[in-house]
Amino acid sequence: MADPGLRTLAAVFLRIGNVTFGGGDPTIAALHQELVVRRRWLSEEQYGLAFGLARITPGTNVLAFCAAAAWMIQGWMGAFTAAIAAMAPSAVVVYLVVAGNEWMSASPWVRAVMAGIAAAVPGVMMASAIQMTGSWRNFGWLRVVALTGGALFCSHWLHWPPVPVLGAAAFIGAVWPE
Amino acid sequence: MNPVVLYLLLLKAALTSFSGMTSVPVVREDLVVRRRVLTDRELNAAIGVSRAAPGPNGLYMVGVGYAVAGIPGALAGAAAVVTPAFLVIPLVRYVGRRAGNPAVRRSIQAVVLAGAGLVLAAAIPLAVDALDAWWKAAVALGACVAMVVAKVDPVWVIVAAGLVGLVH
Repeated sequence: MADPGLRTLAAVFLRIGNVTFGGGDPTIAALHQELVVRRRWLSEEQYGLAFGLARITPGTNVLAFCAAAAWMIQGWMGAFTAAIAAMAPSAVVVYLVVAGNEWMSASPWVRAVMAGIAAAVPGVMMASAIQMTGSWRNFGWLRVVALTGGALFCSHWLHWPPVPVLGAAAFIGAVWPE
Repeated sequence: MNPVVLYLLLLKAALTSFSGMTSVPVVREDLVVRRRVLTDRELNAAIGVSRAAPGPNGLYMVGVGYAVAGIPGALAGAAAVVTPAFLVIPLVRYVGRRAGNPAVRRSIQAVVLAGAGLVLAAAIPLAVDALDAWWKAAVALGACVAMVVAKVDPVWVIVAAGLVGLVH
């Protein structure tokens, strides 16, 4: 188990959790880069475990992901620290705006910055998807194409919710020998 | 409204949903229709702000809590959003102990690969909505290349994209 310390752990989840727009998927994708690729605090398998189980946990999936990932890195205190860090600043932003500071959303400067950020988000997600399939040599091309392409097809074109898609993938993975 | 009661109502809504926004009908039923402590307009404003702000979409409950009970209500909303997250840990502990089993290991690998497909599926509507000019497509491509090839921290990618939006 990696031992980065609670302060470093909090800093990572604070940064990634609160600067990524567009909901949970871009945040979880960006955390792959940080936790698996750059810092190597988690293996691909640990990331996959947190990713899959967070999807079947009630509530906000990205916070469940943060709790699961940080628990594997630094136990219960890590989980608590990461979940709070990933939401507290954003919660303050929501509170401030709802409390009457709508000027933020009306400012043309803020809108320009938001347009640039919104444009980057699909790129960030594409990069993370590429990195998640990067260890294809361990799986074989056919498995990568079938599982990644199948999930994309079922989710985007058939509009399946994530839980049955991941459940089907888990079943196929279990019965498909290497 | 008592913040503890509000917390329990919002927690109930959070526990009955599997993504940030599917709890909205439960919140509306409890707070707008049955108890009449929130208006549809206040609910819509909270949802709109949370979608425009960074962080989880489920944080609309902070705005709902503030509208119903002021700052204690906002804190109750934040607590209701984060509480269910910890239910994942017993699951991780249970499945993690079995990760040495080849079938479980292959299942986890398959979930990672399918997860990549879900990330791509989620990126498509965001791209269709956001990439309505050539410079925005260039920002998206640049972000992808910077992360995959140069392993740039995603935070710097986001900051750089915001600056490009500002100077464009």
